[in-house]
Amino acid sequence: MIRILLILTMLIGIGGRVEAQQALTAAEVIQVLSQAASEAQARGRPATIAVVDRVGNVLGVFQMTGANNADPGFAALSVPANPSLRTVKVLDNPRGTNTGLNGVDFVPDTLAAIAKAITGAYLSSGGNAFSTRTAGQIIQSQFNPGERNTPSGPLFGVQFSQLPCSDLNLRLAGGTAGPKRSPLGLSADPGGFPLYKNGELVGGVGAIADGTYGIDTDIFDRDQDLDELIALAGTVGFDAPNAIRADRITVDGKLLRFSDAARGNLLSNPAAPAALSSIAGSIVAVAGYFSGTIQAGQAFLAITSGFALDGHTYGLLSVILVDQTATRRFEPIAGASLSAAEVKSIMRHALTIANSARAQIRQPLNSSAQVTISIVSGTGEVLALARTLDAPVFGTDVSLQKARSAAFLSSTQAASLLRLADAQRLTSAVPLLTPNESLLTTYLTQSQSLLGPAVFADGVAISARAIGNLGRATFPDGIGGTPNGPLSRNAAEATPFSTGLQLDLVLLDIASHILFVRGNLASDVSTQCTRTSAPLGTRVLANGLQIFPGGVPIFRGESLVGAIGVSGDGIDQDDMVAFLGLHRAASELGTGLNNAPAARRADQLTPLGVRLRYVSCPVQAFLGSRATNVCRGH
Amino acid sequence: MRLTAAIVCLAISPAFAADDGALAQLRRPGVPPREVPADTPVVVDPTAVPPPSRDLRYEMAPVPDRWRLVNTIGVLDDPWNPYRQSTLKGDRPIYKDYFFSFSAILDTVYEPRSFPVPVGLQSTGNPGDNDAFGRTPSNVLSGNLILSAAIIKGDTAFKPPDFELRFTPVFNRNRVEVDEPRLLYPDPSRGTRRTDQFVGLQDAFLDYHLRNVSDRYDFDSIRVGIQPFISDFRGFLFQDNQLGVRLFGSRSNNQWQYNAAWFRRLEKDTNSGLNDAWHQTRSDDVVAVNLYRQDFPVLGFTSQATVMHNRNREGADGFHYDKNGFLQRPAPIGFERPRDYDVTYFGLNGDGHFGRLNLTASAYYAHGKDKNNPFTDETADIRAYFAAAEPSIDFDWFRLRLAGAYASADKNPFDRKETGFDAIFENPQFAGADASYWIRQAIPLIGGGGLALSGRNGMLASLRTSKEEGQSNFNNPGLALLGGGADLDILPELRFSVNANRLWFADTKVLDTLRMQEGISRDIGWDLSAAFVYRPFQTQNVVLRLSGAVLLPGKGFKELFDSFEGNKTYYSVLTNIVLTY
Repeated sequence: MIRILLILTMLIGIGGRVEAQQALTAAEVIQVLSQAASEAQARGRPATIAVVDRVGNVLGVFQMTGANNADPGFAALSVPANPSLRTVKVLDNPRGTNTGLNGVDFVPDTLAAIAKAITGAYLSSGGNAFSTRTAGQIIQSQFNPGERNTPSGPLFGVQFSQLPCSDLNLRLAGGTAGPKRSPLGLSADPGGFPLYKNGELVGGVGAIADGTYGIDTDIFDRDQDLDELIALAGTVGFDAPNAIRADRITVDGKLLRFSDAARGNLLSNPAAPAALSSIAGSIVAVAGYFSGTIQAGQAFLAITSGFALDGHTYGLLSVILVDQTATRRFEPIAGASLSAAEVKSIMRHALTIANSARAQIRQPLNSSAQVTISIVSGTGEVLALARTLDAPVFGTDVSLQKARSAAFLSSTQAASLLRLADAQRLTSAVPLLTPNESLLTTYLTQSQSLLGPAVFADGVAISARAIGNLGRATFPDGIGGTPNGPLSRNAAEATPFSTGLQLDLVLLDIASHILFVRGNLASDVSTQCTRTSAPLGTRVLANGLQIFPGGVPIFRGESLVGAIGVSGDGIDQDDMVAFLGLHRAASELGTGLNNAPAARRADQLTPLGVRLRYVSCPVQAFLGSRATNVCRGH
Repeated sequence: MRLTAAIVCLAISPAFAADDGALAQLRRPGVPPREVPADTPVVVDPTAVPPPSRDLRYEMAPVPDRWRLVNTIGVLDDPWNPYRQSTLKGDRPIYKDYFFSFSAILDTVYEPRSFPVPVGLQSTGNPGDNDAFGRTPSNVLSGNLILSAAIIKGDTAFKPPDFELRFTPVFNRNRVEVDEPRLLYPDPSRGTRRTDQFVGLQDAFLDYHLRNVSDRYDFDSIRVGIQPFISDFRGFLFQDNQLGVRLFGSRSNNQWQYNAAWFRRLEKDTNSGLNDAWHQTRSDDVVAVNLYRQDFPVLGFTSQATVMHNRNREGADGFHYDKNGFLQRPAPIGFERPRDYDVTYFGLNGDGHFGRLNLTASAYYAHGKDKNNPFTDETADIRAYFAAAEPSIDFDWFRLRLAGAYASADKNPFDRKETGFDAIFENPQFAGADASYWIRQAIPLIGGGGLALSGRNGMLASLRTSKEEGQSNFNNPGLALLGGGADLDILPELRFSVNANRLWFADTKVLDTLRMQEGISRDIGWDLSAAFVYRPFQTQNVVLRLSGAVLLPGKGFKELFDSFEGNKTYYSVLTNIVLTY
């Protein structure tokens, strides 16, 4: 009892308010579905609509009769068309050849709806309400998309997180515990929104009716996007508070987009929707995601949600993951070259920095940053994972991706791992899906020509930010007429649906998963992405590569011993929490642990006269302090 | 031309002296004839030849070109010395009463300065640059060769010319060095040094004298083309050379003066700031009407009332990038959608003195509509104001000055009102002008978008992309300035000026929003400057200027900015040599 009181006191003190533990009821799930379906009906455009809770449990999927495209099958793998299946097509590459997921047209539309709903829920929190339109704005080659000579969106690459093959995100069989995976990663297609009750984030809704799983590449006009209108109708009564919507949050002075559609554009009256049973369509089961029975959502931080408060592991209040049996996941453990005490210390310092950091993407202003922090060993084993109270859920998986990505590409084994993965791939039963899929060594070769033959084998410490520098459609990032970054597809092929190495590592996993959901494959994809690399005994790629900032390798002297990844707030804040958290822990521990030696860091490299970056800490880092340049000299 | 007039006066005097009748006519209109004193020369030198009697008649021969009379006494054309007779300087006509006037000015500036500099996003100058604020020193070397040529028809000094055709190309070459990549070009691989050149057209007009409306040469004239115009005495709202049509003139013995003008604004060249007359004009019009009244309300004080309207239709023009590749329009803030706006400025201005007290004062109210508030994506009403005053008093060889200015701020960017004052094209000759740090230097709003907190040669903290190419922005933190200074004429050749200005934002809510940082202090800090102006020949032909300024940042500035060096003081040094022919 005393402990609960203590936790509540701390919650009020740190979080500003007690989590009210709101959740969607089954009736409310039906209400959201019927509001959205009524709008679709009013427009005469059958839609498929999904509702999820904050941790990604799919609570309901409603497919209206006749929704979307007829299934074309997938000739490359001799998958026949299924006349009863409704599919969507991933947007064609407007500039040239379809590669990656561009043009893929055998995706069940239920998966698109689920990915959109999950995105609305996962990118949002009590301090920020982001939609799939927001996602579309911050993952393109320019920020803002359509502006020239400006670097890429801050979350470039986040679309390939929460992957169906992730070893972190849980599956339907994992009960109600989240975070759940997303079938297509995160979505940038307008038509996915968060849902709120009494100011608390309770889930998301996603709709697709236009047959295309796309992205808005011209954000300067005002669209009347069919999917967005339908999903928006679903949010009525569960609206995101105006004060925390994306369009009240600036990144480098630019407001984020929330919705081009407005309530006044709706043709239906969401306050009096048609009964779901009266609308032509049905609640449909989706293999791996939804049983076919409407569910109530999980209250966030209830033990059944997979996220639980913890007051003692790190000596401060944090949120940890638990599974459906309430067993703690990712408790701090020792790695091959890191002691449990060291891991705990790094986590504690990182959490402390996050709690005192000024948030970039939250309202009210001067909130503290809310992030998830992952610490991994040099081979990608999770040594600890914890988060602050209101961090958006997407950062759970992404923080681990960032940590592993930094560990992977900073390792002297990275180049050989890529070669081996290729060798495994070429001897697998499935042919290389060209032009969608490319050999991984393509990117290694590109990197070698830019950075020298020893790249990814020379032990240079490569941070997530440096990976981002190398993983953009242009190098330097955002500048037209330059070559592509070596980890990217070329400028004509690169799109948010075809990012290069990042996607090609997991393209087969995603495709296999889609075929499983369609019923063309008996078994689901394994719980480790890029399975072909498994023989190496490493998990550095087990939930996919991430290519935007917020992760740094951990060194002991000259040796790589692990990495820390952070996700959830602005990328500069993520960088700072990782870099400075590690630095402060190192100072306290005195065990030789630290950030990479300055001389080994990626910012010593200047390919084509363009120095890579290591980290970039924010302009005004801390609340209640004017300290600036806080990462200098470390 | 001035000299010519004087000589002509001497030359023709004897003709009028020929009889008293002619002399009696030589009087000012409305003034009774003067009593002519008796002609009783004082004898200074008894041996001297007595002066000719007033009544002496002599033969008068007609001279075909009265301008060249003085040739006969050895006053010859000297094209190299502007203080001698020169046909190049309009002292003598080139044909009938057509004059040609030419001048050349070489204006060279070397400017070491420091200001908060962002570390490049994609790349940095040095390893270990882990933060947002980079190395601050930089310098500019810029030279303008200003050639101005005019053909003028008219009787020169006595009355306004019948017409004037003027053409002023300016040849600029500039070089900037900074310490951080991506400051000069978006592409960090293009380095930290930039050399550029440009030929701008600062005058290209025909001035036609429509008519005289009184015996005192009150007149109406019209001027068409690229021409200078200033909105008020100190350039608070608009001071520029722009393409337009201007009707102007005077009444009541020059006591009333008026202007009615329309300008279609030319683009500015990014790095020289000169008019880019070689491309499409901006979709931006300025209409100005003003009326000056001399000696009102008191003798020695000129008052002016003005209405200016700025109609901007760049919303349909898409994105405009400057020559270096940075986005200028729309500004990359808020929703970043192209926008139109209409603003009308109502102004009252005055300049002169009340007894010994000199005073310059300005007040503007801006009223209009922004068709797309960048923070709300909706129309917004523009309601903003500005006031400034500079009282001063002269003591023998020095002048003491005070300066105060206030520009209103926008207090809530998310409402439907924009209450931050912005000018059309300010060029304030105020509070130290370009010797002052704040007015001279542009300060990038690091972490808040590709904006300047305040523009170069501008006083307002108006958060435009730039004064030259950006649109006006009425969502800004405003400004309050209080200052004092002195101008000391130490020698006839040497003036020394000092200024101390204290600066504040009027309200920082907009900055809070752009930086996602609540509660930024209003305190900008102290701007201290000193300037020498040395004119070795007591003329404008050789002018040397040296000024230095420091900004001692206040709490608000420190909450916004820092430097890699950890310097808490920023400086601006201006060395300027102006050579004029």
